[in-house]
Amino acid sequence: MAITQAMTTSFKQEILQGIHNFTSGSGGGTTTTTGSGNVFKIALYTSSASLSATTTAYSTSNEVSGTNYTAGGNTLTNVTPTTSSTTALTDFADTTWSSSTITARGALIYNSSTTAGTADRAIVVLDFGADKTSTSGDFTIQFPAAGASTAIIRIA
Amino acid sequence: MFSVEVSATPGSVNVQTTSNRGMNSEEIALNAVEKIISISDTADPVIKAQAEAFKERMYWVIVAACDQSIKSDRTTLYNIFKSNGHDNVAEILRTL
Repeated sequence: MAITQAMTTSFKQEILQGIHNFTSGSGGGTTTTTGSGNVFKIALYTSSASLSATTTAYSTSNEVSGTNYTAGGNTLTNVTPTTSSTTALTDFADTTWSSSTITARGALIYNSSTTAGTADRAIVVLDFGADKTSTSGDFTIQFPAAGASTAIIRIA
Repeated sequence: MFSVEVSATPGSVNVQTTSNRGMNSEEIALNAVEKIISISDTADPVIKAQAEAFKERMYWVIVAACDQSIKSDRTTLYNIFKSNGHDNVAEILRTL
């Protein structure tokens, strides 16, 4: 069992299929008409989870359970995609599980909207490098600066 | 034959946790400045120094804003608890 940080292979394929829309609010779109951004979530996992580039969808298997953690994780606040030089990138607002008692080793960002008939498509697997624990406190995931070489999701 | 190579790599997140408390103004401010400004290791030294100075200034402005926000929110909570008859809880909040 291991968690390996990666942008999932299925997500790369789905980008080319126009399945995901990271726009915040209305805009973008996967058809000829303007759509609105999908809902992205982040779920936490224990060190027993198997997550990697081959992960295709959110699963409850080995998902964290703890005080003030709800299965499925937190809903993320999208930041509309932008560009920096020749890199396209998108970002999310930091997210916190408040007053929580949680131990997690990694996370999965996924698209909880139903797109092309399927919901919960996997986007990015995150490896925290070690177990992280909150005890009746805050468990915060701070996303990197939205730069060409740092953003959480970037296509160069 | 032509080919275009595209790379897609995830960035690295920072996980912060606390025990038996929430995050304080300094911790929140640090997160905020790291989110607002990132300074390249290869930046020109003069520009890098300016950016570092700006980042430091921004940090203290955000700390002050967070402190003010906390105090203001406690005033709101104090009044909510007091008006609902929880004077003891209101007093604890006021003296924090």
